[in-house]
Amino acid sequence: MFEMNDMTVRFAIGEALRGASLRVAPGDRIGIVGESGSGKSMLAACLMGMVPDAATLSGTLTIDGTDMTQASEAAWQAIRARRAAMIFQEPMTALNPLRRVGDTVAEPMRVHLGMRKAQARDRVATLFDEVGIPDPAARLRMFPHELSGGQRQRVLIALALACDPELLIADEPTTALDANVALKITDLLVHLSRSRNMALVFISHDLAAVARATTEIAVMYGGDIVERGPTADVLADPVHPYSQGLLAARPDLRAFPRDADGSRRRLPTIPGTVPPLHAMARGCRFSGRCPVERNACASVKPAPVGPRQATCHALSRGVA
Amino acid sequence: MRPLPANFIIGAALVAVVIGVAAVSLIWTPHDPADLDIRGKFGDPSAINWLGTDQLGRDVVSQLMAAARTSMAVALGAVMLGGSVGVGLGLLASAIGGWVEDSVMRLADLGFAFPALLFAIMLAAVFGPSLTNAVLAIAFINIPVFARVARAAANQIWTREYVLAARAAGMSKLAITRDHILPNIAAAVIVQATIEFAVAILAEAALSYLGLGAQPPASSWGRMLSEAQTLMYLAPELAVYPGLCIVIAVLGFGLLGDGLRDITDPRLARAR
Repeated sequence: MFEMNDMTVRFAIGEALRGASLRVAPGDRIGIVGESGSGKSMLAACLMGMVPDAATLSGTLTIDGTDMTQASEAAWQAIRARRAAMIFQEPMTALNPLRRVGDTVAEPMRVHLGMRKAQARDRVATLFDEVGIPDPAARLRMFPHELSGGQRQRVLIALALACDPELLIADEPTTALDANVALKITDLLVHLSRSRNMALVFISHDLAAVARATTEIAVMYGGDIVERGPTADVLADPVHPYSQGLLAARPDLRAFPRDADGSRRRLPTIPGTVPPLHAMARGCRFSGRCPVERNACASVKPAPVGPRQATCHALSRGVA
Repeated sequence: MRPLPANFIIGAALVAVVIGVAAVSLIWTPHDPADLDIRGKFGDPSAINWLGTDQLGRDVVSQLMAAARTSMAVALGAVMLGGSVGVGLGLLASAIGGWVEDSVMRLADLGFAFPALLFAIMLAAVFGPSLTNAVLAIAFINIPVFARVARAAANQIWTREYVLAARAAGMSKLAITRDHILPNIAAAVIVQATIEFAVAILAEAALSYLGLGAQPPASSWGRMLSEAQTLMYLAPELAVYPGLCIVIAVLGFGLLGDGLRDITDPRLARAR
């Protein structure tokens, strides 16, 4: 059980994460969505103890009740291998081009499980089989450039599973893959989470993939978790203006979608871009781009309200 | 496959000749290079003494061959020693960062602030003139060069995603340095080592020329040069031969290093 409470990550230029709380129990499948720069990856880095040295942290993170906030790098190394693992966006660059993929995957087993070479190789073959790599015995002797993108992402999943973690964080695992392969990788992650009772934190801006992979969802913007709840509910009926904008901005796949008056429908977008960290508003970070914004929004940080814990002044007013 | 760059081919050929001669001299030279024959001094080139004899009647070819061996041995020892210490320091600086990195790099700057050869002369002068001390001195001036190259290359590799993936899999910095950083900076280090090899040959010749390197009866191009210097009007060819050998060896390793860099650096390859 990973519990993060009121975690803030502060850099010299601003806060990359503002008071985020997240609870991950075994078997949970949680989606984190939001634009680039919304703090999704920083949230993952917190769970892995891999926040850059330049940042100062406040808040607490406990793993099965053990406080990890002040934990040493050595303690984190043990956690990273045995308890929490992570896969990354870019399978093309996340493997050392000079090492055989089997050696890369075997490494944590030899270091953290004390396995011998032959033993580790057998386990790598078993893992390759589990993540759907055909002919594992031959593949583990290959170099990364000999594998396709999808195969490489499977190798990286095998690397993450090397020491049977309780939590797998997938940081945009499908973004760099083509749609068909992305679907298979998403399903593989869900399957692994179910069969191993392993928690999955699925970070993505692909809403379809998140809908498919997760049971719960947290929407992030500017370092805040602005809304959370069961995936189906949030996607069907978002309450926070940012979630609404994000969901509305999906392209319609019908050839020529038209509005009621017959004109070609334009794809709705959220106006503006995510401001850089140092230019973020002190209050609600969505202010400046928000359609229901009022004067106070930019200066006062909204408190979470309602079952979705949405952080929006408009919702607080409505509820009150 | 792309054709090999010309500097690589020429450099490799020259280096092959020098190393070949040095290797042959281990088992065979036409004469014993230290064999004196006062009556046959300043001999002209002949079937017996291919390039003639020097002021003490020693066979010039045999001396040049034995000197090639000295030169290669000193350069190899110095580059290996200085390279391993320098690369080790560079990797350490890169892995730990912070004040460790700063102090290692400032020390390297300090090393660079001294003219390298002057520094080697100073070391050889302090610890006494001998081939071993020449190796140590040249190794020492190589340390900051390798530390810088290794740190710069390693810092780049540390930002790669596969290093992030290895960290996320719980690997320690030591294991990451061994398995991921070192293999990926090897190309840069080897290129630098080849270039430093040329510098080391030159440094050995200079130290021996000043009497701080190879001691008699060991042969050295630098020493031959200094001995021939006083006989410039009598037998100028005695100074030309070792000088040419130094040029060939230094040019060979220099070109080989440049060629290797061109081959291993795809950006330069495209610009060609």
